[in-house]
Amino acid sequence: MKKLLRNLFLLGALAGAAYAARSYLQGESAADETVQIVFDDGSTRSLASNTTEGQEFTDISRKIVEIGL
Amino acid sequence: MAERGGAGTREELDRVLADLRALSEDIESCAVLSGERDLLSSSHGPGVDRERVGAMLAALVNLSEKVARENGKDHTSQLRIDTEGGHLLVVRLDDGGALVATTGPDARVGLVLYDMRNSRGEVEKVLAEGGEG
Repeated sequence: MKKLLRNLFLLGALAGAAYAARSYLQGESAADETVQIVFDDGSTRSLASNTTEGQEFTDISRKIVEIGL
Repeated sequence: MAERGGAGTREELDRVLADLRALSEDIESCAVLSGERDLLSSSHGPGVDRERVGAMLAALVNLSEKVARENGKDHTSQLRIDTEGGHLLVVRLDDGGALVATTGPDARVGLVLYDMRNSRGEVEKVLAEGGEG
């Protein structure tokens, strides 16, 4: 019983570590995707892809870049 | 290569896009979208769904105009989107249309945008002449 609990604990720890690593890597790649908008008056605005607004831009752009114009 | 508009205009737009690609080697593909969001010309390869691409470009340009309005601006003059697979670059034309290009991830984006801004005048000239004829 004790051995089973220890194995379950180890399995849980491994699954947690894998999930954390995956989330970290996903977050890192998402942060690499950015949107820069220049307005008519010369001012700019940047949107990160981890924002709702930025994600709309990057989702469409990713597909266009992939298939070409 | 071209999709809509008069034959002369289409050919001229094709020529301008070909010149732009020759000038800026980092550009992988490029297109011209009209102010009515029609795909006027593009450098698409075989197998590319033109209607789908046109619709996606129109959605992107409309989205950028929405952001401009929300920020109290008249319109967006330039858009740069960096994705994992490469960059999508948009330069607005006078009539509300857009000159759009895609590049690989390692492209010299500043240089490409410079070349696009230089080509913008020629695209606008072709569209104006096409509208007159």
